[in-house]
Amino acid sequence: MDTVKNTTLAALRNFFLARSGEELNAACITLANHNGKTKDLGDMDWEEAEFAFNKLFVGPMALQAPPYASYYIEAEPQLMGESTLKVRRLYDMAGLVSPLQGHLPDDHLGVELDAALGLLSMAEHLDAEEPSALWHYFLHEHLQTWLPQFLNQARNAETGHPAVDLALDHLEAWFNDQETKQEGFDQ
Amino acid sequence: MTQWKKNEIEKAMDCPMTRRRFMKWLTAAGVATAMPCSFLRSQAASAAGIVYEGGYETFRNACPRNCYDSCGIVTYVKDGVAQFVEGAPESTFTNGGLCVKGHSYIRQQYSPDRIKYPMIQQGRGSGNWKRISWEEAMTRISEKLIEINEKDGSMLGLALTKYSGNFGITNYGVEGMFSSLGYTTRMVGTPCWPAGIDAQNYDMGNMWCNDPEDMVNARYIILWGVNPAWCSVHTMKYIYEAKKRGAKVLCIDPVLTQTAAKADEYWQTKTSEDGALALGMARHILDKGLVDQDWVANNSVGFNEFADYLRKEVTVEWAAEKSGVPADRITQVAEEFATNNPATIWIGYGMQRHVNGGASVRAIDALVAMTGNVGKVGGGARYGHLMTWGFNYHAMIQQTPKGAKGYLGPAAKGEFDFTKKADGPSYSNRTFNINKTARELLNATDPPVRALWVSCKNPLSQDFDRNKLVEAFKKMEMVVVVDQFFNQTVEQADIVLPVTTLFEEWTVNVGYWHYWLSINEQSVKPLHEAKSNIEIAAALSKKMNELKPGSCTFPTDTDTKEWMSKEFNKGIYDLFGLNSWEDLKKGMHKAKTNLLPWADGKFGTPSGKYEFKSDLCSKHGFNALPRYVEGRKPYDKLRLLTPHTKFGLHSQFINLDWMEDFNPQPYVYMNPGTARSRNIAEGDMVIVKNKTGKVTIAASLTDNVPMDAVLMYEAWFKNNDYNCQNLVDDTSADMGGYKAGAPGVAIHSQFADVVKA
Repeated sequence: MDTVKNTTLAALRNFFLARSGEELNAACITLANHNGKTKDLGDMDWEEAEFAFNKLFVGPMALQAPPYASYYIEAEPQLMGESTLKVRRLYDMAGLVSPLQGHLPDDHLGVELDAALGLLSMAEHLDAEEPSALWHYFLHEHLQTWLPQFLNQARNAETGHPAVDLALDHLEAWFNDQETKQEGFDQ
Repeated sequence: MTQWKKNEIEKAMDCPMTRRRFMKWLTAAGVATAMPCSFLRSQAASAAGIVYEGGYETFRNACPRNCYDSCGIVTYVKDGVAQFVEGAPESTFTNGGLCVKGHSYIRQQYSPDRIKYPMIQQGRGSGNWKRISWEEAMTRISEKLIEINEKDGSMLGLALTKYSGNFGITNYGVEGMFSSLGYTTRMVGTPCWPAGIDAQNYDMGNMWCNDPEDMVNARYIILWGVNPAWCSVHTMKYIYEAKKRGAKVLCIDPVLTQTAAKADEYWQTKTSEDGALALGMARHILDKGLVDQDWVANNSVGFNEFADYLRKEVTVEWAAEKSGVPADRITQVAEEFATNNPATIWIGYGMQRHVNGGASVRAIDALVAMTGNVGKVGGGARYGHLMTWGFNYHAMIQQTPKGAKGYLGPAAKGEFDFTKKADGPSYSNRTFNINKTARELLNATDPPVRALWVSCKNPLSQDFDRNKLVEAFKKMEMVVVVDQFFNQTVEQADIVLPVTTLFEEWTVNVGYWHYWLSINEQSVKPLHEAKSNIEIAAALSKKMNELKPGSCTFPTDTDTKEWMSKEFNKGIYDLFGLNSWEDLKKGMHKAKTNLLPWADGKFGTPSGKYEFKSDLCSKHGFNALPRYVEGRKPYDKLRLLTPHTKFGLHSQFINLDWMEDFNPQPYVYMNPGTARSRNIAEGDMVIVKNKTGKVTIAASLTDNVPMDAVLMYEAWFKNNDYNCQNLVDDTSADMGGYKAGAPGVAIHSQFADVVKA
């Protein structure tokens, strides 16, 4: 895994786990400097970005684009569904565990991006086939089942902001890149 | 490409044995190498095996909503996630069942819409929210409270509005938190049932109902202004069983409810004429010589005066004209009621939400008493009870800080306030009528209310004269709302704090209708950053003392299980036959005594008898006898009724997806005749308006609603600004100030007109 992608992925994770406008700002600076190209963030209003981010992904109002996989995967949208527990077990198989297990759903987008970082790194650095297999599974059998829907819902939401668009663009690009690069399982 | 196939990975995910085999690489590869994860943690391979193979852990929960049924719940948990719920099987009342609301609790718990974090709004109603830590939330609130104290020399500028959103006993820790801060301003009273509480206190000396399970023994049942088919589903089985054994069931209601549809006879009465109807029946019973003379002679006072009043001022024809029920039905049912012993009347809360509500309840009580049906199994004037609520109120009873100054006038106490006034301090809290919250907040001076704390309540959906309440909120310097979902009150908050659900905290619950007791175990970890009300109080106390030592006495430990255990005492143990609260882990317990009120003929009134004539009632400014009192004079063309919906409890549940499937939007329900004269068709958008405000809403036509009324269910919808309180003013019911702290509110003594939008 090259360092640039690693940095972008980490910035996306930081973006979706952000707790404040400052944290969104920091993540966006990294994203804007993606791949050697620098995008000018201009006079972005980070307070407005925070308000928009919260309307879409945090609350307290009903979320416009819930960043939880089970919301999209379960037959009836909910958090902590069976699909969330499958993700938890997948982390477990990679030797990973959420420190906020039981509080923050394991399939929150930010957590899943963190898991992606870990799996990709393990697949690259460790002398074992299992991490690569897990990453394949995570990408094709899990992320693929909800990330496109999430991107669609977030882009078509009532609320938008250039900072959010930046993150969604990068998320989509990263995901498409992975999808193209990684062949699926033999069915 | 890896040798591991998709199906093998899936097998490992599902099967613990395969998973362990899969995970051998973890030890071999030495994962503790540089990991780019900053959130997820590495764990030892040996620890990676928490596994359930089809098995569930079960926990005891209790529905803490403001409902007759207060169901015990068994919660099935797997992998730390609540999977489904069932009614407690050992409770003969619940009998393993729940209602449509109870079954939706998992949808509430795991709704993506829950409030997840403490948040602060930049401009009330703006929708611009920032996430803050609990630490920061507590700092901001504490600084404001300290500022108030310094400015006013007391904490009276801090007001609490809290009622029935969560009846778990430890949630009285919110009141405890307020006491621990000093003498504050409290909204006291209840919008629910105060007129009836006082009426029963004047008549019998307490509000105390028969065990609902004994209704199977009734030979005649009148369901008067109550809709158990929606609002107390578990009681229906006793009514059905009584019917099976030969009882006749009469339902009296202005609206043809599901309960009415299941009764043998239904009377669509004119709203708020219940007193006239009861008195007309009483007159006929008197005329026919069907009074239970022995019971009356041995157990009551004032019957002769009551009989004189009936003979002089009440006729069956008059009652028929007032109530709209034909005279021959009144006489026949009166005779049936008096001769089929035991006979019982279930007095609903809806029928006493009137300017004459207390007087009507007294008339109905008299009807039950004069036929000798008080104090009998299968009999009774059933309204509610608080006989099982004798907890320690440990969380509620907190000392004010040393030197705290407060209010010097008299303070009112709510019906759930079981505390005794301590000797000594002359200061008290400042109490305001909860049913007039808007005007009380607007008019408060010396000091004004500066900060409002809302917990277990959604005032902007439930409190009256909503437009005025919006103005009152604007006057507040700080509004803190503790809730689970973003409702119309949270919308007007500065700070919102996420509170735990029933699955996430320890507490204990009893009912005000049945006689069962349940503990509520913490079954899962609090999702997101939710805290229980006790934990919030502890966090606030910690911060207050950090910023100003000695400013808050609330303990800073937060073991909610320990707090729950401190609510128990010998009285509760003896009443329920418990050795320890731990016995409740195996299931609910029912009270061993108190199930049959007034059986010994010793009443709680000043005379010790049933008082057809109550001097106390007269002293409090009402009639000594249960005389007829006129309802509110109509001020618009149609009666406006705003009762409970099937799909929610007050403003709770309606926002959940399962409820939205069946009840996606609000309607005003109208009789087709009423609609026709206004050129309104099914589904038309209409404006319901009166002197208080207006609501734009779709019309639904049904002849379940009488011609002279329109009906809208009280509700809060997630995606709709519907609010029936735009139309309901804060006119008081007659009674309630004696035992409930403030008079009730005349929720159904309201009028409006409808025009096509």
